[in-house]
Amino acid sequence: MEVNYAIELSKHEHKPLQINPIKHSQPMGAALAFYGIRNCLPLMHASQGCASYTKVFFTRHFNEPIPMYNTSVSDITAVLDGGDYSILLSIENITKKNKFKPEIIGLHTTGLTETKGDDVRGVGMHIEIPYCYVNTPDYEGGMESGWALTAKALIDQHTRPYDQVRPNKLLLLPHVSMQPVEVEKIKEMCENFGFETYALPDLSTSMDGFFGEQQGKLAQGGIGIDEIEVLGNCATVVSIGSSMRIAAEALLVKNPKIRHIHFDHLMGQDMNDNFVASLMEIRQIEPSPSVKRWRGRLQDVMLDSHFLIGSSRFVITGEPDMCIGMTELIQSVGGTIEAVVSTVYSPVLEKIEAKKVFVGDLEDAKVHFKNADLVISNFHAERILHIDEQSHAGLVLRGFPNYEELGNQLKNDQLYEGSTYFLLEIANKLREVKHHG
Amino acid sequence: MVNRAKIKELLNESACSHSKDKKPGEGCDKPKPGLAAGGCAFDGAQISLFPYADAVHLVHGPQTCLGASWETRETLSSYEGRDHTVMGFTTGIRTNDVIFGGDKRLADSIDFIMKEYAPEAIFVYSTCVTALVGDDIDMTCKLGSEKHGVPIVPVHAPGFVGGKNLGSRLAGEAVLEHLIGTKEPEFTTPYDINLIGDYNVTGDMWQYLPILDKIGIRVLSSMSGDGRVGSIRTAHRAKLNVIVCAKSLITLCRKMKEQYDIPWISVSFYGKRDTAFAIREIVNALGDEKLIAKAEEVLAEEEEKLEARLKPYKEMFAGKKAVLNTGGNKAWSIASGLQDLGIEVVATSIRKSTADDIEKAKEYLGPDGILMKAPASEQSKVIDEKGAHILLAGGRSLYTAIKKKISFIDVNQEKKVSYGGFEGLLNLAEDLKSAFNNPVFANVSKKAPWETVSMEAE
Ligand code: SF4
Repeated sequence: MEVNYAIELSKHEHKPLQINPIKHSQPMGAALAFYGIRNCLPLMHASQGCASYTKVFFTRHFNEPIPMYNTSVSDITAVLDGGDYSILLSIENITKKNKFKPEIIGLHTTGLTETKGDDVRGVGMHIEIPYCYVNTPDYEGGMESGWALTAKALIDQHTRPYDQVRPNKLLLLPHVSMQPVEVEKIKEMCENFGFETYALPDLSTSMDGFFGEQQGKLAQGGIGIDEIEVLGNCATVVSIGSSMRIAAEALLVKNPKIRHIHFDHLMGQDMNDNFVASLMEIRQIEPSPSVKRWRGRLQDVMLDSHFLIGSSRFVITGEPDMCIGMTELIQSVGGTIEAVVSTVYSPVLEKIEAKKVFVGDLEDAKVHFKNADLVISNFHAERILHIDEQSHAGLVLRGFPNYEELGNQLKNDQLYEGSTYFLLEIANKLREVKHHG
Repeated sequence: MVNRAKIKELLNESACSHSKDKKPGEGCDKPKPGLAAGGCAFDGAQISLFPYADAVHLVHGPQTCLGASWETRETLSSYEGRDHTVMGFTTGIRTNDVIFGGDKRLADSIDFIMKEYAPEAIFVYSTCVTALVGDDIDMTCKLGSEKHGVPIVPVHAPGFVGGKNLGSRLAGEAVLEHLIGTKEPEFTTPYDINLIGDYNVTGDMWQYLPILDKIGIRVLSSMSGDGRVGSIRTAHRAKLNVIVCAKSLITLCRKMKEQYDIPWISVSFYGKRDTAFAIREIVNALGDEKLIAKAEEVLAEEEEKLEARLKPYKEMFAGKKAVLNTGGNKAWSIASGLQDLGIEVVATSIRKSTADDIEKAKEYLGPDGILMKAPASEQSKVIDEKGAHILLAGGRSLYTAIKKKISFIDVNQEKKVSYGGFEGLLNLAEDLKSAFNNPVFANVSKKAPWETVSMEAE
């Protein structure tokens, strides 16, 4: 293993600006989390631009109507108002105009309203609809932390304390980079073990590309606030992704009897072996035949793909929790990770055993593209990769945003099954660039 | 610094037709808490200036402002140097910059950009947080400009001052103040014009520029589609300003009239009639008999060619009726294109349209045309009453079309091909043809087995 000197470097910034950023903001992560709450009215405490950008961003990424409201902070309110007035007026305007009653209002801040120092907590006293607030300045953290903070806030503010548990009840806490169908697959796996399973946030029934009569005024599908209130009697909470530990810990405060199991990701054989072993231990039953068959298929594909992947070099960019999963899966079949370029710093980066791991933008990443056979990155990398023909690397699109391909919400890289497909996809891509490229 | 007097002035533009019916001081769009869904002033400013491919656009603010907005618009450029329109630059300020001020980060960023990218100019955009904490962007830009010898233009359009429209006006102000008139053109001709407000999205400009060229009209500079910083600096020597479909830059044109005595006209290049009309307006304004005659000659030639190519489509579309639900000037510009293709436009939306737009829509649709104020609830009824065959609207209306079993075109999604000029009309015709012929709308409205098969117990 080589020394992770680059991590040190990235903690102290090495240039004053970002050029072709891959990072997305905390408020965007919070907004996305609120889409996973049933009949939620996602309300961004901001000037209108932030909300409009966020809405367009997710509309194009998911190809779905996206519910999104904002408090339209103006030059007058920016200076004078403590926030209360514009928040209350917004809620009144929105609910009156649309004649609907959200089950919960998800309010979160932005750089502007944090700089003003608005009291988003206090305003809750004046709101009759159930209400959750999160502080998400966009000059701190990133999308991953915004999402995690929102999950934590929902538990902190809405889950009731318990001292008993329902033995079969389980809560999944998925990190932000998991696609709706990935959450669905993991829920199904737990249900196959006989668990009554919930996910928080749950995009698997809201942003899942399901053709229904969605109008996009409120979040559709997702976990209900009534269900969040009673999460305290879960026997088991499973956090996936290091960012989600804070949400699990918040739940343990509500009921210390809950058993917490954590996985940094659910990609590749090892992590899934651990996951399945944990579920077996708790339930004392065998996994379904299909799970066993998928493990076999994964092993088969690991063998089939190891020639290509094992002789190839990769650069991965994205949110930390996504990066570690992909890195470990690729390394399990011998792939060499040239560089991991992360959106933000997270302690999980210290665990990644790649040649270089650092926080940066696509300009920094580009330097490493020329040493790579395959780049795994978002849609922005496409142009940069081919801008000066230095690099012949292939590109597999993952992470936010992907405006290019359809069906992002249906991409599955998790569990034995998703890992199998992921390896096949990258191996096939490698064959294409190496042999025909 | 955000200049309050200037903002007030821009919101009360006297040359703007809808200012007439407002009380003094009431002005344009003020976002209503909770209900405003459009972009912010920064968004508008960025859209207006971004097509300058030879300039770097540096967003001084936290992550949301640029992170969610770069590489989203297909503003094509023919610039042969490094194209900065496909890149994103942000200071991405952090907590420390909020507490201690971001001026140093900004100055360092400017130095970094000049060293690594050496652009013709840098536009520096203030945003909500950096405007609120009071970063002295003017000073930093001025010092940077002196140090590096290229224009570094502060753009004061933080999101909280207002909507997109205001932002693009503020962008116009920045260009007027810092760029226009700072350089002389190599030569001038009597037929020099500036194009204002066409951003060349999907190459719209390139659909009509060849025609102007044939007639002998020279585009001296553009604000800002396929524009160059060097040429906009010479814009004060043009003979005419031509605003393309953009109300927001009227102020810029009015001030250029006052300062440089350049007259201006407002035109649109959608559809056959509008394009021909626009070209006649331009040559008439330039007022040269020979040019006018030449324009007629070129137009006759082009129209004949176009008609021949449109013929099969017109036959195919005969008797078809369309409902149009889209915003602003598209309410009539796309309607005009549809009519040129022989489609009857039975209704259009006038939500978010200006008084001018509504007048135009009325004129285009005629006495029987329906102007929908609340299209979301009205369109479904209109489709039934008028027996429409296609709905052109934003993605959300897809379900209306499916329920009514009629064809659908999403006109609000970031479009991939241009509908501008004569060539663009053919693109629109192709899209319509595909929509009319596609069986998907009928297929997805079929019932599922669990909705039709009865499962009574044996
Ligand atoms: S509203 Fe303000 S903070 Fe938000 S995107 Fe616009 S300028 Fe940036």
